[in-house]
Amino acid sequence: MPGGYMGKILRVDLSTGALRTEPILEEVARKYLGGKGYAVYILYNYLREYEFKGISPPDINPLGPENVLIFATGPGTGIPGFPCSGRYHVMALRSPLTGSIGSANSGGEWGPFLKFSGYDMIVIEGASEEPVYLSIVNGVAELRSAGDLWGKNVFDTCRILSRRVGGKNTSVACIGPAGENLVRMACIVNDEHRAAGRTGLGAVMGSKKLKAIVVSGDEKVPVANPDEFREVSRRCLETMRKNRVTGEGLPTYGTSILINVINTAGGLPYKNWQTGVNPYADKISGETLAETYLTGRRACWGCTIGCGRVTSVPSGPFQIIGTEGPEYESIWALGGSTGVKDLDAIVKANHYCDEFGMDPISLGSTIAAAMELYERGYIPKEDLQGLDLRFGNSTALVEAVWRTAYRVGFGKYLALGSKKLCEIYGHPEISMSVKGLEMPAYDPRAMKGIGLEYATANRGGCHVTGYTVSVEILGIPEKIDPLTPEGKAKWAKLFQDFACVVNSTVNCLFSTFALGVKDYADLLSAVTGWSLSEDEILRIGERIYNLERVIINRLGFDGKDDTLPRRLLEEPMPEGPAKGHIVELERMKEEYYRLRGWVNGIPTAEKLKELEIEL
Amino acid sequence: MPNVSVKVLLFATFRKKYGSKELIIECDGTIKGLINSVSNVLGREFYDDVYDEKRGMVRDDLIFAINGRNIKDLKGNIGLKDGDVVAIFPPLAGGLSPHTL
Repeated sequence: MPGGYMGKILRVDLSTGALRTEPILEEVARKYLGGKGYAVYILYNYLREYEFKGISPPDINPLGPENVLIFATGPGTGIPGFPCSGRYHVMALRSPLTGSIGSANSGGEWGPFLKFSGYDMIVIEGASEEPVYLSIVNGVAELRSAGDLWGKNVFDTCRILSRRVGGKNTSVACIGPAGENLVRMACIVNDEHRAAGRTGLGAVMGSKKLKAIVVSGDEKVPVANPDEFREVSRRCLETMRKNRVTGEGLPTYGTSILINVINTAGGLPYKNWQTGVNPYADKISGETLAETYLTGRRACWGCTIGCGRVTSVPSGPFQIIGTEGPEYESIWALGGSTGVKDLDAIVKANHYCDEFGMDPISLGSTIAAAMELYERGYIPKEDLQGLDLRFGNSTALVEAVWRTAYRVGFGKYLALGSKKLCEIYGHPEISMSVKGLEMPAYDPRAMKGIGLEYATANRGGCHVTGYTVSVEILGIPEKIDPLTPEGKAKWAKLFQDFACVVNSTVNCLFSTFALGVKDYADLLSAVTGWSLSEDEILRIGERIYNLERVIINRLGFDGKDDTLPRRLLEEPMPEGPAKGHIVELERMKEEYYRLRGWVNGIPTAEKLKELEIEL
Repeated sequence: MPNVSVKVLLFATFRKKYGSKELIIECDGTIKGLINSVSNVLGREFYDDVYDEKRGMVRDDLIFAINGRNIKDLKGNIGLKDGDVVAIFPPLAGGLSPHTL
């Protein structure tokens, strides 16, 4: 077994209660690394098996026992000195929110501690009849009753299970009431405030009656070439320390430093994307958070950045003492998109998202869509059952969060996500989503490349699948004009492929503010003992992205789904530096497909052969 | 001779360092002239923080935007006119970097 791997996958069948261990296969790891890549490989094999059994992939119920949920670390996870290696990736064959592949990533301590418990990955199939939790302590895995935990929130569940299991390096990943209630944007939360947030994977856990996974152990992750690794690690950590973003910007302001940056560029969506300029942006910015409610910061395991925010709202109607966040995306979704400008209400709403286990991006965007539907007269007042969903209403925002988690009143509609909600009320164009996943906080009319990226992201409207904002707005590693569609396709592809490498390593994307492909090649070579070049690293990323694309093709998605909401394609930006702009998607997509070797959003046989993907 | 009035917005650590987040500045309509005029108010350190004297241009590692457009994206002679808004961010905000420079 190469370095970096514990060498074991735990297979769990919740329908029968059977647990078995199987080895990590080196030939698979060499082609797909670990984390997202290895998980995509496993998911594809499930899909193929279902097809052999005569089950058509689009018939797979995301909330049925046939859905498969994978928790995965990679060769970099949990190695002291490997930059920001405190993360894990979660995948599901289908997302209950989108119907496409489920994919999300989280920090904290859970990922490394899974490896210290003796396993690289957990593959979960079937469904339990009664609530259970999975415990893995120093290589011993057990399913136990979670009857006493069902109904409890995230914080209680984490604390109770940590105490119950005890021991060194113990961490809990769980769902809250939202996951139990099958809320479509429910997430999986670990260490109380860290979440595998997107695509509704908490509802998949809920459908399987799996309340939590607790991991604990003190095994060490092997490194193939320790001396070489020490040298590369020192170099990379020094680079990150000296980098102004990873060494100063993120530690000081967290991700919300971007609120003012993106608003200045005219791309901070406001009131459900009706414009890209928020007149109150500074009131909800990272600078304001630092001056008001910020009390400290919290780093994930092994992280030298520490972007996590510790906050308190000391008094007032939105008082909350000792919470974490919000970060850029949550501030935008719960604040900017809803027109709420009271930072204390945003902190509180974000706290509830953690407590109940919901993705603030999808939830905030769904509430914003409901606000637009209501203000345009498409939702009758009586349907809201007292919830005054007008843009900017802080009290209604906070109220809507818990109503959604418990599916109370109008919350039962919000719990379906913006796409379904807007379809129900007859105006699907108001859902600002791609493939059913609500888009994050960058309006592509003000930065065209991220529009191409959203449209072609396999999991749906997502920025971290390939962050072209880096070149369009931030100027790293070079600056290109955000308002032109020229040259964006190659960057979208490059960022998407590289992000696959990071999510399969598994460490934090933020390390790549400072580190490049060569650093990753050197780190992974030293850890695994393989000799990986920069080209090979990117080729692995491209392979993962293409196999993931094959899966979503089988689920029924193709070029017609690689698109954007009509507002971005047809309604010119009304004000700001991008005034008059729309997204010239088709032009960028044509170039992107050519670079990818895809036709109508489907990889060609030649491309798959070139990438050594065997179907 | 000063002939243009410009609003200058400062962000992140610049706010704390210079104790200001918004200034109205009279200047000669050039970028260097603006930075000089701001330095007259905030001190010489501001000039060094923002302007790369050796290269004769705004420092490469910060975001300097006129009416929301980064000056790196603007073509031709870049001048300032009455009522323009200039946003200046210190080099703290960045993106992914597949090929670190």
